[in-house]
Amino acid sequence: MVLELKNITKNFGGISALTDVSFQINEGEIFGLIGPNGAGKTTLFNVITNMFSPTSGEISFLGEKISGLKPHKITDKGICRTFQNIRLFSQMSVLENVLVGGHCRSKSGVIKSVLRTKSQRKEETNSHDVALELLELVGLSKFQDSIAENLAYGQQRRLEIARALASNPKLLLLDEPAAGMNETETESLFDLIKKVQKRGVTVLLIEHDMPFVMKLCDRITVLNFGKKLAEGTPAEIQNNQEVIEAYLGAEEDDEIA
Amino acid sequence: MLGDIINPYHLQIVSFILINIILGISIYITLSSGQLSLGNAGFMGIGAYTSALLTINFDLPIFLGIILGAVVAGVFGILIGIPALRLSGVYLAIATLGFGEVIRVIFVNWDSITQGSIGLSGIPHLGRELFKTFKLTGFDPDMLGLKNNQFIYLLVVLILLLVNILLVWFFIRQNKSRVGRAFAAIKMDEKAAESMGINITYYKVLSFTQGAILAGFAGALYAHVMAYISPADFAYHRAIDILIFSIFGGSELIWGAIFGATFMTILPEALRFISDYRYMIYGVILIAMMAFRPQGIIDVSLLKWFKRKLKLKRRGSLGIGTKKYN
Repeated sequence: MVLELKNITKNFGGISALTDVSFQINEGEIFGLIGPNGAGKTTLFNVITNMFSPTSGEISFLGEKISGLKPHKITDKGICRTFQNIRLFSQMSVLENVLVGGHCRSKSGVIKSVLRTKSQRKEETNSHDVALELLELVGLSKFQDSIAENLAYGQQRRLEIARALASNPKLLLLDEPAAGMNETETESLFDLIKKVQKRGVTVLLIEHDMPFVMKLCDRITVLNFGKKLAEGTPAEIQNNQEVIEAYLGAEEDDEIA
Repeated sequence: MLGDIINPYHLQIVSFILINIILGISIYITLSSGQLSLGNAGFMGIGAYTSALLTINFDLPIFLGIILGAVVAGVFGILIGIPALRLSGVYLAIATLGFGEVIRVIFVNWDSITQGSIGLSGIPHLGRELFKTFKLTGFDPDMLGLKNNQFIYLLVVLILLLVNILLVWFFIRQNKSRVGRAFAAIKMDEKAAESMGINITYYKVLSFTQGAILAGFAGALYAHVMAYISPADFAYHRAIDILIFSIFGGSELIWGAIFGATFMTILPEALRFISDYRYMIYGVILIAMMAFRPQGIIDVSLLKWFKRKLKLKRRGSLGIGTKKYN
């Protein structure tokens, strides 16, 4: 088991964004998190990475309690994320963005950096190699010197994935990776996520593109109004009456009759 | 002859430029992690008073005084930098401006030690002290065809130049490393930087403290170049001047701060002949600047353009390619 959420509740003032949410993600899975707008999916991401701390409940990662750790420590443990509204370092080059992603996997401080010691140079070369390999993976090699904000939208999403992978995560959180993509882009994103899975990275993703989610995910959890509605394989979810009602609205009895 | 070209007045201006460049870099380095600090005049004052008092009262060697001045300013930098983490943008600017004023008022009122608003005089002069050491070795500036005065000012300029080169080298290397990338990432998007595993508390305090150390260092040098300091030297107009160095020259690059400090120090001197109007022209230039080139004179694209030109020239004449990662 990679990630375990136990009875997570998050309140903002009087509003309860998440109520008693529990689920487990197994190693190597692609796990989908779906639900109507405002269901609390992104809030859940923010709680996992401790951008917000949960009001109650506990999160364990690889058997170790991580709730309460600072966000950068959580990245260090091996969880990294992308953002729903792309948050690249927009004025940096594509390559530099990925290099920043590798920050927690390198150590050189001020003195070593200024003196360019042997270990620092080795570390820099290593980070460059990793970054170039990841850009190759997401298909952005030839844009490595471009400024991030000049990339097309779909490319920016892929760059965010490369940047997150640079921290060598065991669990990757993707917040609506296919949003705003056309069909071809979505297809290549599908292949990319499959490739990421093959590298041994467990993936948790939020997505609204249902055909995409159903095809990609091994298991899915559905959230509605901050509560877990259902959990299961894509086939189970598609046939779950409650889920259909949450998405399409319940039919009144007399109409059926 | 060397003695005919060297004019102590010009040398004095050059040493002001070199000190102002350090101040410009001090604000550039805090800005590089996205923190707008107007407290650098305060840190400068701390460095200046620390070194001046130690050398006057305890006969400490100047270079030790200067280092301690920078260290004490750095300690204050950490003390201010940690609570300042909660603030950003204009709020941080106002809070740090307030800090600078508090420091100035302490200098004014702590009569018994700082001699209040009269200021401290008789601070050992960097050039003269060094000159004394030179004399002991039997050196005479006459051998270079220089008068004592010329030689003293020349010494100061040379030392400051050396310090400047070292600092620029230091910060360019830092900027091109993991540390520099962390600063830039925090500046562009703090939340994203944190999610990428950057300890923002550490790096923000680090850049704030580096700025404070540099300002304190510049202040200590200032004290030993002027041989006289008073609280008025570190009032808020100094804080604004320092900010202008970096904003005018361009805050994205260290070269911006260097250019800004140089230009803004020369300008009032060059305009001396129209005495009454010179600060008006200074003001007009600033307004025009903000209207037409808000990012400052030197920005990344200008530097790239310049580098390309240089590369083409070199390729043309020598026929060599350039390495990609350096």
